[in-house]
Amino acid sequence: MYITIILAIPALLSLGSIGVRSRKTFGIVNACGYLAVLASSVMLFKETISSGCIKACNGFICIDGLGAFFIFVISVVAFAAALYSIGYINKDVSAGVISERKARMYYLLFNLFCLSMIVVPSLNSLGMLWVAIEMTTLISAFLVGFYNTKKSVEAAWKYIIICSVGIIFALLGTILFYYALSISGAAKSLNWSDMISAAGRMDRNILKVAFIFIIVGYGTKAGLAPMHTWLPDAYSQAVSPSALLSGVLLKISIYAILRFGIIVVKCVGFQYFGNLMILLGVISLVISCGFILVQKDLKRLLAYSSIEHIGIIAIGFGLGTTLGMAGALFHIFNHAVAKSSIFLGSSNVVRNYDKHNMNDIRGVIEVMPFTGIMILLGVFALTGFPPFSIFVSEIMIVIAAFLKGSYFVAGILLITLSIIFGSFIYYFGKMLFDKGPKDMQKYGEPVSGKLALLFLSVPLCASGVLLPIFKKDLIWILQGLFQR
Amino acid sequence: MQIMILFGMLASTYLMVIARRMPALIRGFRYQSAFLFLLTAMLAFREGHKDLYIVAGLILILKVLMIPHLLIMVAKRINLDENLGLFINSQLSLIIALVLTYCSWLLSVKLDFSYVHSLPAAITVAFSVVFIGAYLMISRVTAFTQVVGLLVMENGIFLLASSISDGMPFFVEIAIFFDVFVSVVIMGLFVYRINNLFTHIDVSKLSRLRG
Repeated sequence: MYITIILAIPALLSLGSIGVRSRKTFGIVNACGYLAVLASSVMLFKETISSGCIKACNGFICIDGLGAFFIFVISVVAFAAALYSIGYINKDVSAGVISERKARMYYLLFNLFCLSMIVVPSLNSLGMLWVAIEMTTLISAFLVGFYNTKKSVEAAWKYIIICSVGIIFALLGTILFYYALSISGAAKSLNWSDMISAAGRMDRNILKVAFIFIIVGYGTKAGLAPMHTWLPDAYSQAVSPSALLSGVLLKISIYAILRFGIIVVKCVGFQYFGNLMILLGVISLVISCGFILVQKDLKRLLAYSSIEHIGIIAIGFGLGTTLGMAGALFHIFNHAVAKSSIFLGSSNVVRNYDKHNMNDIRGVIEVMPFTGIMILLGVFALTGFPPFSIFVSEIMIVIAAFLKGSYFVAGILLITLSIIFGSFIYYFGKMLFDKGPKDMQKYGEPVSGKLALLFLSVPLCASGVLLPIFKKDLIWILQGLFQR
Repeated sequence: MQIMILFGMLASTYLMVIARRMPALIRGFRYQSAFLFLLTAMLAFREGHKDLYIVAGLILILKVLMIPHLLIMVAKRINLDENLGLFINSQLSLIIALVLTYCSWLLSVKLDFSYVHSLPAAITVAFSVVFIGAYLMISRVTAFTQVVGLLVMENGIFLLASSISDGMPFFVEIAIFFDVFVSVVIMGLFVYRINNLFTHIDVSKLSRLRG
């Protein structure tokens, strides 16, 4: 019931965006639609808790706790982005940067992109999962190349080629999983639910090799180092309200890796899965830390910070204890919210100053007080400052590492996190508090943009403190995952 | 018979590795797809599945006819000079391709494929087509050849899917086909845009974004 609403709204909106006359009213309708999606995703989550697994369309769609959680994360960010788009696109059109037709195109792409992302966690078949993830790449490539400048086309090209190659390896892995299932004596099927029930009888060697292809393939899309090279380019060029790209696109691939990972864990044992995840997580942390230290471009800085957080999430899942994995799940939500909020705020800054270089941006709080304060909040949240939510999830993962006795991993986490904290405070302190340029006019921020930032700041500030209330739900999802 | 077709597929892949000009590369891809079509058609005949006939028909229409045609059309439209931007010369490329074939043989021996109905050589050929496709993408630096490399990799995946499991579930296969076609169209679009903006399609010179 709720899943029908969630899938139907973006589909209808994308149809509507083609024939729409008034762009301004459509923007508002769009935002209202995503508010409805958000509300139904909360209801969907409650429904999965009460009934376990929701099936529809002959078992084609199958949503368990993990899927419902991801749909919820997507719809939170989608709502904020839809809200922010209203003011942003209006401004672009009135400034003559894009034409009326292009604005319609934007809404079409936005809705298709949301639809393709929401479809991913609701599918049961692993083959269709692959198709849906490839679809997210193809659609978002247009959002990256939206402004049609040299830089943005270059970024879109790199993005589409690197991700397509990566995802072909993921398809190879999927086929090997299928083969392993078919020789185990079970009925031939690509459905995840069939695979997990036959996981104990599958061939161990084939699954091990297949999972390497999977983690390389979907890891490319997830932005795990060393396959991350497309990410900073795509981030710095994408049309700004697509905070979806920065907030949730990467997590969709983490979802895919988890789905396959659960099968591998059940067949081969946890050690193999955990070691691979921790290895990639640590590499991502160290590489992103290095690039953050020498970064000059504001949006690329945020991109490397995303790689860092994906690394933290990978480590959390790799540790394998309930505390570590609950931390990782919680971190997925927190990072999505914090990154989108700071990304939207920085888009305001970049647009007003018309510069990407952090050395040229000064006095943001003076020029744009509201955005400045929101960015300040976002920076503290993103770097894991208490009492914000990211602090809670990061400390959960660090404690889990200590409790498990992986002191090396815990050490790397603490060192890189503190270096990144330092450099973020340094960069943003200068940008926010220095004297602004004299000829800069005070910038009127559109109401919809303010609303979007305010909406995101609520979970940012509150969810860390309110953790005890929904702690049970997190643990319930985890129990559903690994104890089938 | 089957083994001849498999070797033909491998040979057409080598042909693409040493191709120096655009038409030769596209021709190689066309031969490869034609061999893939023959294999799938034979499999369909042997198994008697209706689904497999449809898949074979789709391979014929999309990969042998439409996609190469589309590629040639775009190449003409953007007045591609015929240089393919070889990083590594043909002889060395051929040796690397042979090494990749050997590696895929090792991989297919190490994993247990004894349950497979079709020839064991099919697995080796499939893996090597995938890996050589990846090599094509890395060693050639024009945007156009990268698209072709991606298509080669996809051919390899299809061979693997049809030989180790008599094809994937029908619906999934159709979806993947659709996806391949859409991605080719989108990439063609981007090649066109790159060419318009930069007046060349040499990817190694796309280096505005650094660090």
